[in-house]
Amino acid sequence: MTMLTDFGYILLFIIAAIVFVAVILFLAKLIRPNRPNEEKLTTYESGEEPDGNANVRFNIRFYVVALIFILFDVEIIFLFPWATVFGNKRLIAETDGLWGWFSLVEMFVFVGVLLIGLAYAWIKGHLDWVRPEVKTTEYESKIPTSLYDKINQKYSQ
Amino acid sequence: MNAIIALSLFGISNLFLGFLNNRKILLPATLVFILIALGLNFADWNHEYYWFNNMLKTNNLSVNFVTIILLSTFLVVAISRSFGDDDEHSHPAEYYAILLFSAVGAIMMVTFENLIMLFVGLEILSVSMYVLTGSDKRSLRSNEAALKYFLMGSFATGILLFGVALVYGATSSFDIHGIAQGVAKAKEQMGGAYGPLLYSGVILIMVGLLFKISAAPFHFWTPDVYDGAPSIFTAFMSTVVKTAGVAATYRILSISFPSVYGLWGNPLVYIVCATLIIGNITAVYQQSFKRMLAYSSISHAGYLLITVLAKRPETNSSLLFYSLAYAIATITAFAVLMVVSEAQAKNGKADESFEALNGLANNNPLLAFSLTISMLSLAGIPLTAGFFGKFFVFSDAFSNPSSLFKWILVIAILMSTVGIYYYFKPIIAAYMKKGEVAKIELSPLYKFILILTTTLTILLGLAPDLVKNIF
Repeated sequence: MTMLTDFGYILLFIIAAIVFVAVILFLAKLIRPNRPNEEKLTTYESGEEPDGNANVRFNIRFYVVALIFILFDVEIIFLFPWATVFGNKRLIAETDGLWGWFSLVEMFVFVGVLLIGLAYAWIKGHLDWVRPEVKTTEYESKIPTSLYDKINQKYSQ
Repeated sequence: MNAIIALSLFGISNLFLGFLNNRKILLPATLVFILIALGLNFADWNHEYYWFNNMLKTNNLSVNFVTIILLSTFLVVAISRSFGDDDEHSHPAEYYAILLFSAVGAIMMVTFENLIMLFVGLEILSVSMYVLTGSDKRSLRSNEAALKYFLMGSFATGILLFGVALVYGATSSFDIHGIAQGVAKAKEQMGGAYGPLLYSGVILIMVGLLFKISAAPFHFWTPDVYDGAPSIFTAFMSTVVKTAGVAATYRILSISFPSVYGLWGNPLVYIVCATLIIGNITAVYQQSFKRMLAYSSISHAGYLLITVLAKRPETNSSLLFYSLAYAIATITAFAVLMVVSEAQAKNGKADESFEALNGLANNNPLLAFSLTISMLSLAGIPLTAGFFGKFFVFSDAFSNPSSLFKWILVIAILMSTVGIYYYFKPIIAAYMKKGEVAKIELSPLYKFILILTTTLTILLGLAPDLVKNIF
């Protein structure tokens, strides 16, 4: 029997994943009861009643907020592998504790770069959600408001 | 190589300098930043260093390429005039920062030792250029150009990445010297032949890189994008991006795949011929000066690829000299185009046709003279830098023993005579056509840059050995 290369294992994984999903879905179809109703078939929207078309334009500000969110989401992903090597006892023992300081500083540099980005977005005002400003007209009527009050009084009786 | 770190930090500080709301400070600050990076770059001279865990490598060739890239960036920033004084719609701090960031990407593309770095550098450069292409938000042409560039550019990057993956599959290495060993080993095992994995990998990498330097048949985006983008960024694209792209192509083909020359050499012959013919012939029919420069940049990609194809020991210095001559002349041409097209604007729209140049010489002798010298240099007329650029490239091709190069040379020389026709159009318009261009006020820095680039072009044309000895 010939040996599998490393890519061969990946191929096996892909095939196994497809087969697994297909088999499980097929099994589920065989044993589950099938009683659909309207509530079950509607789109899931966190318990809200779906309203209107999903194909509408979103405010562009959602993208900026999403972008900043992704930035810090990715930061967390990088923090996880860092956390495993940061507390590595063998490395710390070998370097007399220098390893801990080194990795801590490295991570502060990384977070610092991201913070500069956040500071930039903040100063630029990308984090301020626009509130609709009510514009009052600067027109001043020559008719005094007391006149309206008098008319109201006169005809309210 | 500290230039990479320095430029990234300078880019960030540029972003924060923008909050001072002082346009006057940004331009000199950026120029100083680039000069500091240039100084740091020279510190690597005459050493062979590996950087960042063998990710990058600097040697004299790469230092020279980085110098050309930073010099072009310096000239482009110097003629940017702080991007006008429209506070609401132009963001000079961000533009300068992005220009510095894209210079970082370009430097990575000429110094990479690992294909990952090639990809990262290419992406930094490309993404910056997508943003800058669309920076004129209110112009429909600029938006169209940015979208086209983004869609096609990201597709090309995907193709490059696919090629990298296939080459890794064939040679099990990302390191460019490691790939060379892998290729030699694979060739030995298969008795001189090469497998389909390596074949398609090399071709796909080539396609991805040739797209970036707009060689035919991957040039279709070039005219629209160059035409639509703001002129200052077109100048940056046609010099820095082209230099970095050609350097990256040369680096990977000459270091990783010299032992399989037939594999990439044969298709490249057709690509070079197609690029020369399409670029030059189509440029003849253009009515717009800017669009003509776009096609001229396609044709110059063809000339640069000739020497990559010739694979001579002199190819290094020929590539460097040609890139330098081309960059200086192109930036001069764009500098003149920018001020003239704005002065001749009709209905608030800059006029970039040849007619806008009519009668330029009457009131603006400096602009007309700089334009003439840059056009002569691009056409390759003797006593300008462009002539020696072409001369070195052609002599590389001539000294290659293969008879195929004689035919490539015939096409190249025919096409450079075609080039003379369209490069003389703006000169004729400026000196002989009747027209009126009001006297254009230039800032002292702008005048200085025009005089500097023109002098350099003539100086390199008179004494090419000045830099040829360094390269």
